[in-house]
Amino acid sequence: MSLSRIWRVLRKDLALGPRSPIFLWAIVLPVALTLILQVAFGSLFDPEPRLGVVDQGDSAITAGIEDTEGIELTLFDDEAELKRQVEANDLDAGLILPEGFDEAVKGGDKPTLQFFIGGESYASNRIILTVTALDLVRELEGSVAPVTVDIVDFGEEGLPISIRLIPVIVFYALVIAGLFVPGSNIVEEKEQGTLMAILVTPVKTAEVLAAKWLFGVILASVMGVASLAMNGAIGSNWLDVVLVVIIAAMLSAMLGVVVGVFAKDSAMMFGIVKGAGIFLFAPAVFYIFPDWPQWIAKLFPLYWIIEPIWQVSVMGESVTAVWSELAVALGITAALGVLAWWLAKRMQAQMAGQ
Amino acid sequence: MSRAVSRPAIIWALLKKEFKAYSRDTVYLLLTLLVLIAVPITFRFLPDSVDETITLAVSPPVSALIEDGKDTLRDLGATEEQLAELDEADLTGEQEGLLLLEFEDEGQMTGVIEGTIEAWQTADGEFVFRDKEADEDKPDNAERVNVDIGIAFPTGFISQVATGKDDITVTVYSDAGVPDEIKGAMRSFVREAAYQLAGKELPVSIPAEESIILGQDRSGDQVTLQEKTRPLLLFMILLMETFSMASLVSTEVLQRTVTAVLVTPAKVGDFLAAKTIFGTAMSFSQALIMLALIGGITAENWSLLLVVLLMGAIMFTGVALFVGSAGKDFMGQLFYAMLFTIPLLIPTLSIMFPGSVAPWVRIIPTYPIIDVLVRSTVYGATWSDSWGSLAYAAAWLVVLYGAGLIALKRKVESL
Repeated sequence: MSLSRIWRVLRKDLALGPRSPIFLWAIVLPVALTLILQVAFGSLFDPEPRLGVVDQGDSAITAGIEDTEGIELTLFDDEAELKRQVEANDLDAGLILPEGFDEAVKGGDKPTLQFFIGGESYASNRIILTVTALDLVRELEGSVAPVTVDIVDFGEEGLPISIRLIPVIVFYALVIAGLFVPGSNIVEEKEQGTLMAILVTPVKTAEVLAAKWLFGVILASVMGVASLAMNGAIGSNWLDVVLVVIIAAMLSAMLGVVVGVFAKDSAMMFGIVKGAGIFLFAPAVFYIFPDWPQWIAKLFPLYWIIEPIWQVSVMGESVTAVWSELAVALGITAALGVLAWWLAKRMQAQMAGQ
Repeated sequence: MSRAVSRPAIIWALLKKEFKAYSRDTVYLLLTLLVLIAVPITFRFLPDSVDETITLAVSPPVSALIEDGKDTLRDLGATEEQLAELDEADLTGEQEGLLLLEFEDEGQMTGVIEGTIEAWQTADGEFVFRDKEADEDKPDNAERVNVDIGIAFPTGFISQVATGKDDITVTVYSDAGVPDEIKGAMRSFVREAAYQLAGKELPVSIPAEESIILGQDRSGDQVTLQEKTRPLLLFMILLMETFSMASLVSTEVLQRTVTAVLVTPAKVGDFLAAKTIFGTAMSFSQALIMLALIGGITAENWSLLLVVLLMGAIMFTGVALFVGSAGKDFMGQLFYAMLFTIPLLIPTLSIMFPGSVAPWVRIIPTYPIIDVLVRSTVYGATWSDSWGSLAYAAAWLVVLYGAGLIALKRKVESL
């Protein structure tokens, strides 16, 4: 096997690859997923009670709500707009604090609390917002609570959904860049006949596949690290992170080579990836639902690359903590390499017969 | 001598060809079948109820707390009338959104919150506790109840508060994963209960509940994930067909089989009509199958649903004609199809979020379709509620279908 010939094929792929729509998807998808999952779905999975306030008199209650953890506060100037948004379920509840409200409470005038609840708000959110508002009114009055309330926490705080979604984003970065790009590249070369043209030159099949694999490794590594960086999952152990991402990219790119060599045409490749999608994606779901029995995730091949990335980039572990997973990942990569080699020989025989 | 062939006969012949080509496209055929089987099964597993309650553990039981308070207050000279008021005091119970679990023993309560003891609720509403560490058997016909937060009142809590004793401490035990707002609310809840027991009235007046609820009160009757997903799935079925239809058109353009078709008595108009009928029929029929499998059709909304699904089917056929007319190879066509359909998906995602849709989302052509689907399947909207959206959808339908038709016509004529 000649390294210079591998480099020449790789250089061609690096130069022509960006023209492919799949290459563009590999770049765009992790960015789009980060935006969609973190910005939009983060708030969907972990919704906070939403309270709107019209404060006409610079009330201390507004400041109290701002200081309260876990309540999404929106300030309005217009009472009608506040009520409209409460009714439309854009807010769970609304509070109108007229001018002089604080003075009226302190002076014992017992003003009416203009508190509105959205018909579609959850009962739990109604309780949270109502008791929080009443407690702040009590504080405003200057009452000293007759009891002291101690809060004792058990266990460790679970990870927020924005963190638990990181394996999903990294999975797509690795699969599109590592699997789809080299896979579709090989298939396109077969469909367009350029693979046969290359093979009549001194370049050998193994060298072409090695170049395609390296192409996938480079792209998947870059996109994997970029995805982690976009999600703030790279810390001081960045070298360890880069190493586990490269090993993950090696496996996904080898999977891409196997699929690319096996598939007769693009449609077949698309069908294989689509059909195997759930099987490949499954381990990423277990990070979203940590209560599920985690041993099941180990049955899926990509667990062995997602788990090291999770442990090293998100949990801050070192590479040594995940050496066994990495060893399994390298073992799978090697086994896939053997499979690719066997399939390549079959492909070569088929091409020779054409 | 060749006899004249009618236009419907030509279109019918082209349609038969389309069906044959479709059945040979194994990738999309298998994907279609997979979706039609897998989606309804998955739909059945989606939650068909909304858990909007906070499960709260209390120790000791409220009744014991009140009896204990009564005894002490009686000794201090409280009248029977004053004691009767205690029975009506709403310390924690019977509040909507709150499921109360009472514990005799504080240790057992903390064990449940910590996770060493499991709480189960039987069919008749009784709670059974199972010590996980002792490896006790799971109770039959019971559902597991997750208890993440609980309040431990000290002995003599009521009498201590009522007599104005200092240094009363109530402990709220919580799993660390419980959101801050719930912990804060429980703190406020205990303090408010204590204020009331101490006889301190609220410094504000609260209007009646019915006057402060805006909109239809859906407490206890919230829209479930299953109900939210139903229109989304119907919409996805329509959209899925865009890919297969675009693939068929693209192949025909790429392989120039359309030129062979046009050598026959078939005209461009027949070709376009056949493509339109086929694309619309495929997506519409699949949407109907999905509708039958996942439900949502009622005596009131069936005609509205049929019309809006038909409009959606034609709209996506127009998109497929447009994408397919580019005549790209498989990957290129896939890319173009995704490029056009992903923006059209945005309104469906908005269903999953509470509240009204952002103004820019309303401009997207598929918004009125999804709007009618949601309002008719979830909120029981009828024809009279949907005219505006249907008219808006019709306008976009003309634009998208027209664009698809013109693009493909020009492409065919240029070959």
